[in-house]
Amino acid sequence: MMQRREFNKMLALAAASAAVRANAQSPARVAPAPAGDGIAWDKAPCRFCGTGCHVRVGVKNGRVVAIEGDQLADVNKGLLCVKGYHVGLALYGKDRLTQPLLRRNGVLEPISWEEAIETIAQKVMAAPAQFAIYGSGQWTIPEGYAANKFIKGGLSSNHIDPNARLCMASAVTGFLSVYGVDEPAGCYDDLDKCDVLLMWGNNMAEMHPVLFSRVIDRRTRGEKVTLIDLGTRRTRTTEFCDHYLEFRPNSDLAIMNGIAHLLIKKNTFDPKFVEKFCNFRQAPKDPAASPAAPLLGDPMSFAEYKAALEPYTPEHVEKLSGVPAEKIRLLGDLFANKDIRITSTWCMGFNQHTRGTNANRLCHGIHLLSGHFGRPGDAPTSLTGQPSACGTAREVGTLCHFLPGGRLILNAEHRKETEKLWNLPEGRINPKIGHHTVLMWEKFCTPADKGGDIRTLWVQVTNPGQSLPNLNKLFKAKAGQPEKFLIVSDVYRTATTELADLVLPSAMWVEKNGMYGNSERRTQQWFRMVKPPGDARDDAWQMIAVARKLHDLGHAGMKDKDGRFLFALKNDKGEEVPVWEWPRYYDINVDKVLFEEYRAFSRYKHKDLAPYDVYVKSRGLRWPVVQQPDGTWRETKFRFSEFDDPYVKKGAEIQFYHSVTKDDKALIWFAPAERAPEEPDAEFPFWLCTGRVLEHWHTGSMTRRVPQLHAAMPHAYVEMHPEDARERGFANGETIVVKTRRGELKLPVWVDGRGHPPRGSLFIPFFDERLMCNDLTIDAVDPISKEPDYKKCAATVARAAATP
Amino acid sequence: MSDALSRRGFFAAFSTPFARKVEAVPQPVARPAAGSAEAKVAVVQGRFCLALTSFCSVCIERCPVPGAMKKERGVPMVVADVCTGCGVCREVCPAPRNAVLMLPRRPSTRRHSV
Ligand code: SF4
Ligand code: SF4
Ligand code: SF4
Repeated sequence: MMQRREFNKMLALAAASAAVRANAQSPARVAPAPAGDGIAWDKAPCRFCGTGCHVRVGVKNGRVVAIEGDQLADVNKGLLCVKGYHVGLALYGKDRLTQPLLRRNGVLEPISWEEAIETIAQKVMAAPAQFAIYGSGQWTIPEGYAANKFIKGGLSSNHIDPNARLCMASAVTGFLSVYGVDEPAGCYDDLDKCDVLLMWGNNMAEMHPVLFSRVIDRRTRGEKVTLIDLGTRRTRTTEFCDHYLEFRPNSDLAIMNGIAHLLIKKNTFDPKFVEKFCNFRQAPKDPAASPAAPLLGDPMSFAEYKAALEPYTPEHVEKLSGVPAEKIRLLGDLFANKDIRITSTWCMGFNQHTRGTNANRLCHGIHLLSGHFGRPGDAPTSLTGQPSACGTAREVGTLCHFLPGGRLILNAEHRKETEKLWNLPEGRINPKIGHHTVLMWEKFCTPADKGGDIRTLWVQVTNPGQSLPNLNKLFKAKAGQPEKFLIVSDVYRTATTELADLVLPSAMWVEKNGMYGNSERRTQQWFRMVKPPGDARDDAWQMIAVARKLHDLGHAGMKDKDGRFLFALKNDKGEEVPVWEWPRYYDINVDKVLFEEYRAFSRYKHKDLAPYDVYVKSRGLRWPVVQQPDGTWRETKFRFSEFDDPYVKKGAEIQFYHSVTKDDKALIWFAPAERAPEEPDAEFPFWLCTGRVLEHWHTGSMTRRVPQLHAAMPHAYVEMHPEDARERGFANGETIVVKTRRGELKLPVWVDGRGHPPRGSLFIPFFDERLMCNDLTIDAVDPISKEPDYKKCAATVARAAATP
Repeated sequence: MSDALSRRGFFAAFSTPFARKVEAVPQPVARPAAGSAEAKVAVVQGRFCLALTSFCSVCIERCPVPGAMKKERGVPMVVADVCTGCGVCREVCPAPRNAVLMLPRRPSTRRHSV
């Protein structure tokens, strides 16, 4: 429709805006503060998305009064997106939680912190094995580390999983099964260097706006970069793209197989790269053979790989995906061209997919097969949604099967190392993996006599009451089960606190010290700049206070093998500080002590972290951060590439030094195109996709309280194709009912709005707690990553009045 | 596009109680005569607009008057002849320094129709 026209306009903008920008006062400088006005400035990463921009935070009289983009930050070079400019206001919603609340007779009533900590400790003590922690990719690194140590090292339980399971788990299993180690090899610099950017189901203009600005800015400077959007609906990103390839939901697998097919058929793959650096893999015949079997796969020869791809001719792929064969050829030709550099990015489009692991693998596969890997601009790179999905969930290993630094629960050697680093008696760490997110909530919502083996669940820094899929089954079913006890640490009331039995008021962002790790392996640090409101306290303090209470109640696990408390933290003089007493918590920098302890875990998988104080002075550093002979610390931009990664052997060119096959080679996987778990039929004729919008961050608990962001995007809606609306006689803005097998939702229809779904397809954003699209979504998960599929299920629509 | 699918209804529904019927959506009010005390027209100040360095399309999405705003080189522009001066675009603009100015509408020599 309009994208061609818009695109041309953008080219015009390219010419005009360079000049404008040179003269204009950039919005980055919001009300620049004159000197001597009493505003103190400090740096912090933005609280919101995984892009990880840095802001300068201006504080006056104990309040955050100004936010600027940080010119010194590599990620954003002074620029922010609409959310970032308002990040300071996220602290000042009128209804901040300021005291602990306990539900009595259905009503949340104020209690003291002592009572609150005692209550949790008693619940844990009563049934430690039935206690679980549901954490977050918004936990700071030290917070996640404390929670992980508390439950895995202290309670000998692995029932801890972060919300990152809902967003990055498939990327993790993808990286692990291809390179043997998690997280992207490349970084954002690839976006500055690529000739072609493929965005796979990735609406970068809305979800990683500052990154997309970086790309669009290249056009502004007159550079040529070809943007290709592969998706299931037109988005704001599409408007800027040279090509838009719209595919049938789930058929991204077929498209990537189509590219590989062409590379092989036309002999345009990179035989030298493949020979030197790759092995081939397919799904194991017996995935149940061992817990690692699905990740390791079965070897296959090149001939077998070739044969498996045989059916994926451009014409066949067109039939499966709806993408014209000539466009598949266009992609094949791009990958065949070694003179250009190709970066692929993806986010939830791949990950939230019942074949999410396979989608990730195939994308790495086409880059490896074609040799579009390991040069700046040639990279397959996943983008995270949360500010510390990488730093806290993945690197600290707060997932139910991980230990810190890329170690695994199932590996006896890894458990032993962890016990040693934590100074625990041998065998303290439970060898059985815990419940992953969907299972954890299912068990929590199931009565004990029916096998529901989680009784007490502590949620920190996340809002599962809105963000879990199929909410009626996985969250709302908790209601009316008095033996189930839900603890929620948060800063505002949310859909989750609605069912909470105990609510703990937390400090947020610059109200506490913190560290995050963004999408490009960048570890970031900030200091507390203002005090939290009322009696709100740090999440890590809450965890340590409960651990101490358990210690005092005689729980043996709270002591290490020398009888010392797990969180016996010392000051510079070597004296123990009772940090579990809140007034003493900031006597030392708990973040620094915990981070230095955690840092020892980071070497094993070459995710080397620098000392805390190095991060204090930087705007984040990308691991591995390695000390130079002159004592300085050097970050790594391009992993596995000899020219930049210090761990690659001289002369190796590329070395996958954590190779699954232990021969320094990566794995190219074959995976077949498969159908979605639920597809439209006569009764439910529409595809339903869910996702985010630019103005709101995830469930909107922070951004909906920022007046400017709320005014800009006040209400959820359902996007629909105009023809579909016209056929049913829906007016734009009319309230309709969207129904799936799991629930229904009344909301206004938006035709020709921001996004343009194709015929037979709907989109609903998930930020609005009044209109929760997760009443509708399915809870089917990827069998390997256990990540749910929020991007497709079958739905129907009706006039609101027509339903009783 | 049929009238029922015009952009008008959708945004009216946003700012009114949720289950409002489509018939009840108020139409934009007639604008005061040019030169009268209340007559206003919106102007987007490009240099404060987020669409310039980042991404934003809120005013265009929410302007209730078809044709009153268009995109010019990626940045929204007000078509003064069509703008009713309702001020929605200013209200919803999320830029750190509001990018929309509401200026008094001066009688224009070019627009004899008003
Ligand atoms: S792009 Fe993400 S990190 Fe950057 S300012 Fe926007 S929300 Fe914050
Ligand atoms: S003042 Fe009203 S009519 Fe004029 S451009 Fe703004 S929203 Fe549209
Ligand atoms: S709402 Fe404001 S910032 Fe957004 S595009 Fe319009 S004028 Fe620019």
